[in-house]
Amino acid sequence: MNKNLFLKEIRRNSVSLMIWMIVITLLIVVTMSFYRTFLENQSKIVGMLSLIPKGALQFKGISNFNDLMSVLGFYAANNVIYMMVLGSIFSIVLSSNILLKEEYDKTAEYLLTRPVTRSEIFISKLAVLSINVFILNLVTALAGFICMELVMKTPFSIGAFLILSIYTLLLNILFGAIGLFLSTLIKRAKPITTFSIGLVLIFYFIYTLSKITEGAAKMGYLSPFRFASVDATNPAYTIDLWHLAYFIGISLFLTGLSYRLYKRKDIYT
Amino acid sequence: MNGPIIDITDLSKFYGKARGIEHINLEIGEGEIFGFIGPNGAGKSTTIRILMNMIFPTGGSARIMGMDVIRDTKKIKTQVGYIPSDASAYSSMDVHEFLSYCIRFYQIQNGEQRISDLSELFELDLNRQIADLSLGNRKKVSIVQSLLHNPKLLILDEPTTGLDPLMQSVFFDLLRSENKNGMTIFFSSHILSEVQMLCKRVAIIKEGKIIQLEDIDNMRKKQLKKVSVELADHVNIKSFSIHGIENVITGPGNMLSFMYSGNINDLVGFLSGKEIINLMIEEPSLDEIFLHYYRS
Repeated sequence: MNKNLFLKEIRRNSVSLMIWMIVITLLIVVTMSFYRTFLENQSKIVGMLSLIPKGALQFKGISNFNDLMSVLGFYAANNVIYMMVLGSIFSIVLSSNILLKEEYDKTAEYLLTRPVTRSEIFISKLAVLSINVFILNLVTALAGFICMELVMKTPFSIGAFLILSIYTLLLNILFGAIGLFLSTLIKRAKPITTFSIGLVLIFYFIYTLSKITEGAAKMGYLSPFRFASVDATNPAYTIDLWHLAYFIGISLFLTGLSYRLYKRKDIYT
Repeated sequence: MNGPIIDITDLSKFYGKARGIEHINLEIGEGEIFGFIGPNGAGKSTTIRILMNMIFPTGGSARIMGMDVIRDTKKIKTQVGYIPSDASAYSSMDVHEFLSYCIRFYQIQNGEQRISDLSELFELDLNRQIADLSLGNRKKVSIVQSLLHNPKLLILDEPTTGLDPLMQSVFFDLLRSENKNGMTIFFSSHILSEVQMLCKRVAIIKEGKIIQLEDIDNMRKKQLKKVSVELADHVNIKSFSIHGIENVITGPGNMLSFMYSGNINDLVGFLSGKEIINLMIEEPSLDEIFLHYYRS
């Protein structure tokens, strides 16, 4: 790893990380501030929710209406899915640009002509990406935890909360690996931000569709969101080892492939 | 160091079926100022990008200071400075921040002093944002960053684009002085006059192939000129047949234009026997030079 490059990248991405952390934290705070009001009006809300198809509630991690009444169920239904989508967008935007930006900004000609190998560049940038994704997840999970502590009426399972947070992190890491891989496939440098965001939204749409439409249930397996369970109020809620292997396996495979491609990539500016 | 500082053997680069460069062979000795000249798209930047390990060759090999440009790229780059043709840099940084970032890649004791000296020479304002700089000033930043670590070899890809004549002169003086101190310079350009001004030897590249490798002194002796002459009387083209005249074309009226590569005194002597209304002797364009080399 090259320390000089690493520190420059950390500085360059700090503002963007800060903005994303503030936005997601604010969303969590605002949503969780409605929890008490929600409890006070539960009979009306349950009546309203009974009109919504069961599948549509399930995809938000609501197996039954009582789930929503627990603070963790409310948090999982209203926040985690946004943390997963927004966190994944942050992750894929950062990863798809972290190498490619040097090419389309034409700064690769300065970077690649320094005494630094492609491996060092890749590892330094991967470290920056990992740290950014980890910090975003840590801060937003911490914000969620504090909010739940402040508004809860009955205690919640910290274990389930941690599993939920780990799934969010794994999903974000996977999208980070997808972004990195896509950026190494691009031959002539151009930004792929819009495409990357679109990809996250398409995967989320596929997941949503598979949850609310019985006929499309199998299609859900195409989406990484399918493997990040948000059913936190289920007493049997745990980390599925196959899902863990899916996230870690694909992330490692795509990162390794990106590394190999980047080492032999023709870089034009 | 024994042997050439740059040693290119049978180097080729194809982009699918499209040609980049084809079977280039080149040796540049230590301490040379070597010109690499050709029109846009000829393969100059492709060759340089392979040397700098930005792209990979499809055939052949290249060595710098005896080291392979792919395998030993990191070691090579500690001793090579590079000025890209495009002077883009990190726009969010100011000049000082960028130069400090560049210098931290090297083990240099007096880095700040070096930044200060070179910036002063090129009248660079270190506090300005790179995004706010003009093309000329960005080029100066590019020149300064290439020299910060006192490289043994300097590779320049169209380095004067955007520089005003005064700064060009400062830059050329600096290059001559660094060359006297032992720096080898590989100067790629499409402007023949600046290559002639600075270089001792030159390679002409066209359509991916080196078509001529020559000493600048020999080139000067040939001194290819483009001559346009308007005569008072009609003249027979066949009578324009002194040694060195090529490609005679007739124009409107009694206008004649041709390429001349002989002694200019002979030409003036030849023309003095005719009644001339107008005479213009100018530097030929690169294409005209290439045509000349192709024919010869």
